[in-house]
Amino acid sequence: MTAEALEARPVPTADWVTIPDLHRNPFPIFRKMRDEAPVHWVPAVNRYMVTSYEACHIIENDQEIFSANETNSLMKRAMGHSMLRKDDPEHDVDRKSYGSVLRPKAIKEHWNAIFQANSDKYLARLKAAGPGADLIREYAAPYAAENLRLIMGFHNATQEDMQRWSQTMINGTGNYADDPEVWAASEQSYNEVDDAIDEILPYLRKNPDSSLLSGMTSMPIPLEAIRANMKMTIGGGLNEPRDVLGVAVWALLSNPEQLDRVLADTSLFPAVFEESVRWVAPIGMYPRETTRDTVLEGVQLPKGARLGVVVGAANRDPKIFEDPDSFNIFRAKKPHLAFGGGNHYCAGAWVAKASVAGIALPQLFAELPNLRLDPARPAVDAGWVFRGMTSLPVLWDSK
Amino acid sequence: MAKISFHHSDGNVDVLDVDPGTSIMRAAVTNGVAGIVGECGGQAMCATCHVYVRPEYLDGLPEIGDDEEEMLDCTTEERDGERSRLGCQLKAGEAFDNIEVDLPASQI
Repeated sequence: MTAEALEARPVPTADWVTIPDLHRNPFPIFRKMRDEAPVHWVPAVNRYMVTSYEACHIIENDQEIFSANETNSLMKRAMGHSMLRKDDPEHDVDRKSYGSVLRPKAIKEHWNAIFQANSDKYLARLKAAGPGADLIREYAAPYAAENLRLIMGFHNATQEDMQRWSQTMINGTGNYADDPEVWAASEQSYNEVDDAIDEILPYLRKNPDSSLLSGMTSMPIPLEAIRANMKMTIGGGLNEPRDVLGVAVWALLSNPEQLDRVLADTSLFPAVFEESVRWVAPIGMYPRETTRDTVLEGVQLPKGARLGVVVGAANRDPKIFEDPDSFNIFRAKKPHLAFGGGNHYCAGAWVAKASVAGIALPQLFAELPNLRLDPARPAVDAGWVFRGMTSLPVLWDSK
Repeated sequence: MAKISFHHSDGNVDVLDVDPGTSIMRAAVTNGVAGIVGECGGQAMCATCHVYVRPEYLDGLPEIGDDEEEMLDCTTEERDGERSRLGCQLKAGEAFDNIEVDLPASQI
């Protein structure tokens, strides 16, 4: 045993943590855990939860010890074995099959115009619903879903299909309770996505466009991998931009001094975006598994330990972020972990920034005068593995 | 072993000896050199390992690829037409045996 291991302390147990408490508001729980140790065994979650920035950062940069290829992964069952549950070199082959579709040049040349058209369309829908409407339901969700549908090339599906597929398969990925109804809905979406891919690939071979699926037709990548990666992308590319958009609007409307500064200087929207994903990471936790006995930031972990990398907690680590629970777009710039890091760094990060900070946020605040929260119906934020606004009723001055 | 000298914007210098195949980004991240973030782990995807290569070391560097070119237009500190590179694309033993880089004031 190494000297390091001898000095390492055993993992404390956090038996006081419950899933309903995490779902309501995980941040006080994360704080209490992080203050005590960087890693805990959490019986309710059946995982080691890693809550310090330093430990999360170490994991992200060491796929030899902290493997993404988790045993008995719920995500593999719900979506197939996607690149998100592979290590390099296998991961790298899948990742390269995405080509340049999600990169800044393609966004500038192809996607921004499409995002703008979609924002126009769903902003009109929100306006038609009138003051008091739910911004998530009428705008953020369909906007994110329609953007993703076109980026992926699902010309044979609707944005409503995308929303249903995303939510049901995400529910499968988080089905720790093994609820058979959740699995049934998830499996139905699994099969619908496979059918949609089988139908659209021959069309895209004849009618190529800038989409992900079109790019796949000329890549040396097995159909099985395409199917799994597309499902992962449906799960990872819809709820997240929707949720950062909702959280950003809610945070600005709850902080009028900051909102005034942003309305006076719209070049601050990228800072609003970055602070929103730091403050409430849309994906709060993702899994890893140790490949050997190891010591993580002074804490002993056995081989085969199932870890939850809680980036939602790391992003509020006071060692890195001053006054971490405050939403502050003017805080000192530090790299947050909301997009993950290392080889699994979010492939959609540029798309999210362009569609949310570049188009949706500026347009919402420009076209909805005196946009404000509805005092009669408070907004609701919820979740911990995935967190965002479940409803956001808003008012504005309509002419 | 190859040598990398990181010149920080405050005048401090970090010098590392690294194994062949190690990129400037990886060397900085694994040795805790401040001023390089390397969010994406070396896929030329995030533009947070921007470095300014000192002029005397520019000869012999590999050409800037399409992905690197695209990302160099997304850096936080302004791109230098001659000296700007992504640290993840420059590997010891391939691009250099000894190199000195200036670090930008910010990567994000």
